[in-house]
Amino acid sequence: MVKAAITTPAATNPFIPFPFVVMSRRRETRDTVTLRLRPLRNVRLLAQPGQFMMLSVIGVGEVPISVSGLPRRPGELEHTIRAVGSVTRHLVALRPGDYIGVRGPFGTSWPLQLAHGQDVLLIAGGLGFAPLRSALLSILRERWRYRQVIALYGARSPTDLLYRRDLSRWQQRPDLVLRMTVDHPDQYWRGQVGVVPNLIRQVAAFFEPANTIAMICGPEIMMRFTIRELQKHGVPDEHIFLSLERNMQCAIGLCGHCQLGPFFLCKDGPVLPYSRLAPFSDIREF
Amino acid sequence: MPEAVVVEASQLANLLAALQARKYRVIGPTVRDGAIIYDDLTTVSDLPVGWTDEQEAGEYRLRRRDDGAYFGYAVGPYAWKRFLHPSPFTLWRARRTPDGVIVELTDAEPSRFAFLGVRPCDLAAIGILDRVLRDGPYVDPSYRDRRDHVFIVTVQCANFSPSTCFCVSMGTGPRAENGFDLALTELLDPGSHRFLVEIGSERGAEILRELAHRPASASDWETATRLVHKTAARMGRQLEVRGLPEALLANLEHHRWDHVAARCLTCGNCTMVCPTCFCFSVEDRSDLTGSVIERVRTADVCFTTAFTYTAGKSLRQSARSRYRQWLTHKLATWVTQFGTFGCVGCGRCITWCPVGIDITEEAAAISGLTRKDERP
Amino acid sequence: MSDRELEEFLAVHPFTADLDESQRARLAKQARLAHYQPDEYLIQEGRPADAFYLIVQGLVSIELFVPGHGPRPLQTVEGGSAVGWSWMLAPSRWEFDARALERTTAVVFDAERLRALLLEDCCLGLRLVQRLLFLVTERLRAARLQLLDLYGPPRER
Repeated sequence: MVKAAITTPAATNPFIPFPFVVMSRRRETRDTVTLRLRPLRNVRLLAQPGQFMMLSVIGVGEVPISVSGLPRRPGELEHTIRAVGSVTRHLVALRPGDYIGVRGPFGTSWPLQLAHGQDVLLIAGGLGFAPLRSALLSILRERWRYRQVIALYGARSPTDLLYRRDLSRWQQRPDLVLRMTVDHPDQYWRGQVGVVPNLIRQVAAFFEPANTIAMICGPEIMMRFTIRELQKHGVPDEHIFLSLERNMQCAIGLCGHCQLGPFFLCKDGPVLPYSRLAPFSDIREF
Repeated sequence: MPEAVVVEASQLANLLAALQARKYRVIGPTVRDGAIIYDDLTTVSDLPVGWTDEQEAGEYRLRRRDDGAYFGYAVGPYAWKRFLHPSPFTLWRARRTPDGVIVELTDAEPSRFAFLGVRPCDLAAIGILDRVLRDGPYVDPSYRDRRDHVFIVTVQCANFSPSTCFCVSMGTGPRAENGFDLALTELLDPGSHRFLVEIGSERGAEILRELAHRPASASDWETATRLVHKTAARMGRQLEVRGLPEALLANLEHHRWDHVAARCLTCGNCTMVCPTCFCFSVEDRSDLTGSVIERVRTADVCFTTAFTYTAGKSLRQSARSRYRQWLTHKLATWVTQFGTFGCVGCGRCITWCPVGIDITEEAAAISGLTRKDERP
Repeated sequence: MSDRELEEFLAVHPFTADLDESQRARLAKQARLAHYQPDEYLIQEGRPADAFYLIVQGLVSIELFVPGHGPRPLQTVEGGSAVGWSWMLAPSRWEFDARALERTTAVVFDAERLRALLLEDCCLGLRLVQRLLFLVTERLRAARLQLLDLYGPPRER
């Protein structure tokens, strides 16, 4: 772990990370934590919900991670990270006071402005709730700008639910329709069991399909079935926004890894309307 | 017609000297390991004098010419990206010190290159890399710093590889009209070895003043023009590019992808020899004690499964999907991304494919487009 | 509960809403309204499959009782959906449990009388079978997706 401060050159170079310090670490699940980060110098990397940062463990590597919260003070960042590879394993092991490198923000953000005056449907599967949480927090902060706000969330099991404290608070809100479901309940779970697309029908009475902006993030299969269900309900393709994930090494459209057809998901995405993705969405391994 | 002069072949040494005097690191063709590659040139004798290359799909060999041509070959396995977009390349270095980790840039003074012998197709390839790495919303500083200083001496194509070159189809050759500092056309007549030199920049003109030259006559121009016309006329390979991006994207599930995937070894040779393939990966390397860490960029290849490794899995597992990614990127999606094809018709991928897969043949079969004979 | 009131329930329930009014009226004649407390069983594995349940409100768990583990919910069914199709294939027994997780209201049809009605009015029969097939497909699709363990930890490289 990087216990000592990081000093970086003043020269602007898109590959140089800025030094940040871990302010707090909250364990979400067995393999997932949420880190709050504060810049060491007076830099403000202001990320919009949906955008991502490149987080560096110097000596191990760098990974793209979406912002999952809103800053409490300007310049702060919040990221939810699941231990999957070598870099993320190091990231989830960080402790308050540790230093990491941060580049960003990168990519497109959730269409929050477009959703003003519309019904909003946020649909998350698994870790896909992380990028949507920042959108939901932003929406709830300016709740009056939106009509119905509906959040649907599917997880593997009750112990895999992220942001449990937020969830119980949000469940109390009369101005938010929140539905959760799990694939594998434990003996304490009294909620729904099943897959996320099935939740859409349950909340159909709350949204007006033609005036709904849907934002989806989750595993590709979950998103595919969710899109079909939204289409059945009449939500137009150009109102369905997805956040996509691919290998990203530079985050600035130069390394080529994140291509999906004509898109570099790091700069043209990660958030894209389904209407633009549709021509390629059924092409396997494209 | 651009301003042009004629210099005797013997003046090539003076050109080299003039570039060296201006502290350029001169890179040009030279014979090594049975191929003509690009490397540092010290003297004119480093050039592949009297050599040519014979290329077919999956084949490349050097042959002696019966003259003393300096640029009597087509293109070899190296491309100029090797110098403008080097791999491996250290993005930055970090040192662990008692006061913390200090990150430093390592590319403070990149080489000032002079490229001698840039074929028109390769000049177009540099133009394509410019759009990708320098002229977009995000700039690769290491590319920009090299590219902005590079001095380019183009060689117009009197020599080419009839069975692999297709620059005419791609509109990138056999003649470059601009983008160079100087452009040479090698004129080899019995008893006369000279170059027609076109001047493309003020820097070029300045260098030229140090060479003994005379104005180009109408007959010099005629000889030079005839040579490139002959090249264009004899170019055997062609590719219909009108409507090609749309036709390829409309055929992403064509059975031909399976057909070519059955032959493709996914070795990635095509991407390594391609003058426009720019993809890279980034990794941290440290010394044994971990006290010095480098973040290193290396050329990467979309033919590996690791290329699309995302959250525990590779998104393009089949050879079919990886070949399709490469070809559709070159000839379809690149156009959407950067406004040009990602292919200049240099034919390297055809020559250096160990099983001789021919991009023009595959693209035609998949798109269903055939080229009308447009030979002059 | 009058037939009239039952008809009103059927008129708004997604399963029956787009049937003809006369068809709904005939169905209402075979139906009763039932209320279940949390943990009360609608259906128990092994018992004769003698009813069909349209869930009006509440949440019902389709589950199996696993010895040493207790009830093991597999899927939940919410208001607006339906529970039970074994009755179509009479004589048969329930293969799973259905237990109310919340206070639940259902329109319950007597299986024998419903089967007779569907045979008598084949047009109504086909429309109900189509809806049941939709239900079965939806449950099967969900079960298949759950099998994939979509949110599970990624396979190690």
